[in-house]
Amino acid sequence: MDEVTQSIAQAPLPTPKTLRSRTSVPYQLMRFVAFNFKMLKMVRKGHH
Amino acid sequence: MARVVILGAGISGHTAALHLRRQLKGEHQVTVVSPNANWNWIPSNIWVGVGKMTTKQVTFPLAPIYKRKGIEHVQAKAVAIRPEGDANCPKGLVDIVYTDPSRAGSTAQVDYDYLIVATGPKLNFAATPGLGPDANSLSVCTPGHAEQASAALDAVVDALREGRRQTLVIGVGHGTCTCEGAAFEYTFNVDHELRERGVRDLADVIYLSNEYDLGDFGVGGMTFAQNGFETSSKLWTESLFRERGVRAILRAHVERVDEGVLHYELLDGTKDRLAFDFAMLLPPFRGADVQAFDRDGTEITAELFAPSGFLKVDADYDQKPFEEWAAEDWPKTYQCPRYSNVFGVGIAFAPPHAISQPRKSPNGTVISPAPPRTGMPSGVMGRVVARSIADRINKGASAELGTASMAAMGAACIASAGMGMRKGTAAAMTMYPIVPDLTRFPRSGRDVYETSGEIGLGAHWTKLMLHYLFLYKAKARLGWHLIPE
Repeated sequence: MDEVTQSIAQAPLPTPKTLRSRTSVPYQLMRFVAFNFKMLKMVRKGHH
Repeated sequence: MARVVILGAGISGHTAALHLRRQLKGEHQVTVVSPNANWNWIPSNIWVGVGKMTTKQVTFPLAPIYKRKGIEHVQAKAVAIRPEGDANCPKGLVDIVYTDPSRAGSTAQVDYDYLIVATGPKLNFAATPGLGPDANSLSVCTPGHAEQASAALDAVVDALREGRRQTLVIGVGHGTCTCEGAAFEYTFNVDHELRERGVRDLADVIYLSNEYDLGDFGVGGMTFAQNGFETSSKLWTESLFRERGVRAILRAHVERVDEGVLHYELLDGTKDRLAFDFAMLLPPFRGADVQAFDRDGTEITAELFAPSGFLKVDADYDQKPFEEWAAEDWPKTYQCPRYSNVFGVGIAFAPPHAISQPRKSPNGTVISPAPPRTGMPSGVMGRVVARSIADRINKGASAELGTASMAAMGAACIASAGMGMRKGTAAAMTMYPIVPDLTRFPRSGRDVYETSGEIGLGAHWTKLMLHYLFLYKAKARLGWHLIPE
């Protein structure tokens, strides 16, 4: 097994709870708001 | 009256044109010289490449928009710039060849007071023998290429349905490519598509890249603060590859693509070949083939443009070792050092150096990503340079120039797969700043709280929202200028 394949094989896998949270509409709505807020903050911070 | 000429109507050129028209009085002229009749929201070409969108959904004709806004549109390709004019004209000139079907091939000159070079990349498929949709691999760089890729993917799905194992290779077709983020996004769109069509089991999906590690993305990788720990984009990306069963070949330079087989060299100097049924490999970029001449007609192309064909601007182009690279090397105003009325934005400006550490194989082959400067930063540069020029026209030639250094701005990259409000998913990343600044952020060069990675449906909604928002903005509809780049 080459180094890259070995490294991928040792990477952490998401738990069932994490996988569920990725598709949970209420939780993702919160993440949607948080991510867009982060983007807006970045725009304001860095774009002169 | 002043005339501003913009070469290119991509994200940065089109953004600059709209902002200039808004900030300049009607007596001043804004002219866009672009070989294309349509505007294309390139990030969504990925969805065209898996059949989730059509060309019509990611493009629109420029002519009606420019007519409505009072912007002159010249459908032509710029072949030379003459910043000092010539014997007959003291103003700067651009030599053009029309691509407008009504007069295709005829030539003309366009004079200017200010020039913005926003020509974007030349897709340099010729750098790798056999690379590209006219040869043995596919691309998603244009809507036409993406439609071709989508049709090829349909054929692969048919073969899988017949029970035939298929190998799909997605990545970059040269050791010096950029845009690994787009290849990564297409990889997971294809994976998603194959799962959705119920044929993933017999498909071997391989990501082939010039990155040293997964998660490099041409920006040297990222460090995120997540759940109380600092984690790397390498670990985050590897986790996704493991979860989706995607293999990776990294540190690779594709030497040649034959029909159904690609030949590559690895950073350790070893060479190998890989048989494939489907290969979407992005090309390396070059600057557009634009020459430059002084007033006497002496060629000054090498003085104005880097060997890569990109315009030199206010960056520090001194050759120095990786350890001495600094955030200050990166341009701020995008002004050409020799001609103060010429600017270069978007992919068209020459970066002072890469962001990822440069590496060579024992055979001398460069295998490391070129720096990305598409999307968000391109739009910001277009807006800032438009404001600088408008200020100089409105307030006088001594007006201060605006700044938009990639070492002081952030960017978001969303790799989204699937379509619709419930079925999609996306890997979303933000980074601040794009070019690491070890003076401000000694640990990783970036703000670990503003730099992030997350996966989920919400990120997919953001990508969808940005698709519609940027098309709305590019069409210059009501309030377009309130939407940030």
